[in-house]
Amino acid sequence: MMSGRETLLPGSCTLDHHGCVVCSDAGIPVRVVSVEGDDALCEDRAGNQARIAVELVAPVRAGEVLLAHGGVAIGRIEEEAG
Amino acid sequence: MKYSREFRNAELARAVAAEIASLTDPGRHYKIMEVCGGHTHTIYRHGIKDLLPEQIELVHGPGCPVCVLPMGRVDEGIRIAERPEVIFTCFGDMMRVPGSKGNLIEMKAQGADIRMVYSPLDALRLARENPDREVVFYAIGFETTAPSTALTLQRAKKEGVENFSVFCNHVNIVPPVRALLDSPDLRLDAFIGPGHVSTVIGCRPYEFMPADYGKPCVVAGFEPLDILQAILMIMRQLAEGRCEVENQYSRVVSWEGNLAALRSMAEVFELRPYFEWRGLGFIAQSALKISPAYSHFDAELRYATPGVRVADPKACQCGEVLKGVLKPHECRVFGTACTPEHPLGALMVSSEGACAAYYNFGRKVEERVGAER
Repeated sequence: MMSGRETLLPGSCTLDHHGCVVCSDAGIPVRVVSVEGDDALCEDRAGNQARIAVELVAPVRAGEVLLAHGGVAIGRIEEEAG
Repeated sequence: MKYSREFRNAELARAVAAEIASLTDPGRHYKIMEVCGGHTHTIYRHGIKDLLPEQIELVHGPGCPVCVLPMGRVDEGIRIAERPEVIFTCFGDMMRVPGSKGNLIEMKAQGADIRMVYSPLDALRLARENPDREVVFYAIGFETTAPSTALTLQRAKKEGVENFSVFCNHVNIVPPVRALLDSPDLRLDAFIGPGHVSTVIGCRPYEFMPADYGKPCVVAGFEPLDILQAILMIMRQLAEGRCEVENQYSRVVSWEGNLAALRSMAEVFELRPYFEWRGLGFIAQSALKISPAYSHFDAELRYATPGVRVADPKACQCGEVLKGVLKPHECRVFGTACTPEHPLGALMVSSEGACAAYYNFGRKVEERVGAER
């Protein structure tokens, strides 16, 4: 079940999705839970957690929303206030 | 709009669809190509075609890396995987892509050590955990995926992991689009640009589309309303006589892209002089190989892959579908000899391949429209 905060993540892909990981353009919006060196523990909209490499979008802070692909964050998703 | 639910709001979608209809010239036929397989998936899954005027035709592009991989590269991967010292790793969908003598699942059943990974970093971890084995990662994907391979190789080099290599099949999105634009087979009016590829490369690389070919391009996200808004932006450009690159997906994509990811790719990869694409043939500078600074990690060199070419099965018309010349259901083996359970061609394998998306979500619509005619 999704918590109120998780529903704010855009997109429908999750870390446990069964679709093609690589194919085309799949990207997973995840929220940073904690930063651990070059990696961050991140959570998707369904509450799944995974370690994601964050060098390519560094520096990151807990609470930020990233776009993860193949275990690596490739972008940052801007959220509007509200 | 801020949140995903707003990008699926039916009322908003109907309002955007009505504006698209108001901009449509009833005497004109519009051909818009969605380059990316993720967009194809969204279009079929959410029935976007049903919301558009009949004058607007969406043409599916070559943006599924599993689908565009030629059979010879699948066979070469299988050849590496068969080596007894190798742990061969790949993304899930690669396991089912048919080579000329079977696929990776069948090789695994015959005893090859083939493992599915979610990330190339998982493959590197396997190499650390199995120092007496050789771990090979089968890298495929456009610029969305290439940064994860680049980052993994940078970490492997930094940590001095010797028993790890990559069979590199990364491809670039712009060269095949240019090849399509040069093709006499297809006349397109505009492009929906890929969303997450553009997270990495930005919007600037698409400027050749309006500048050299006079075709608008709108980079779009993956929610149903993202696609509809992108089509609306294209229709506005066409109605107003404008022709430019626009960014519908600005909540994720910047104009310049991810410079750190581009730097990482530039260090680890270099352009191949040419690369074969299923259905499109050889395209110059359309793929990446491992750069000399990282050659120690290049599986092509480590295992001396011969670069074999294998023709697709004669019954398959993947090439025509990839070029947008045929719709998936117009292929002679669609839904009969070729199904997601028993794919003959790669487009039926990947969940975002045009044929699989069409098989799973699109056939009923086509059957209904056909019956009404």
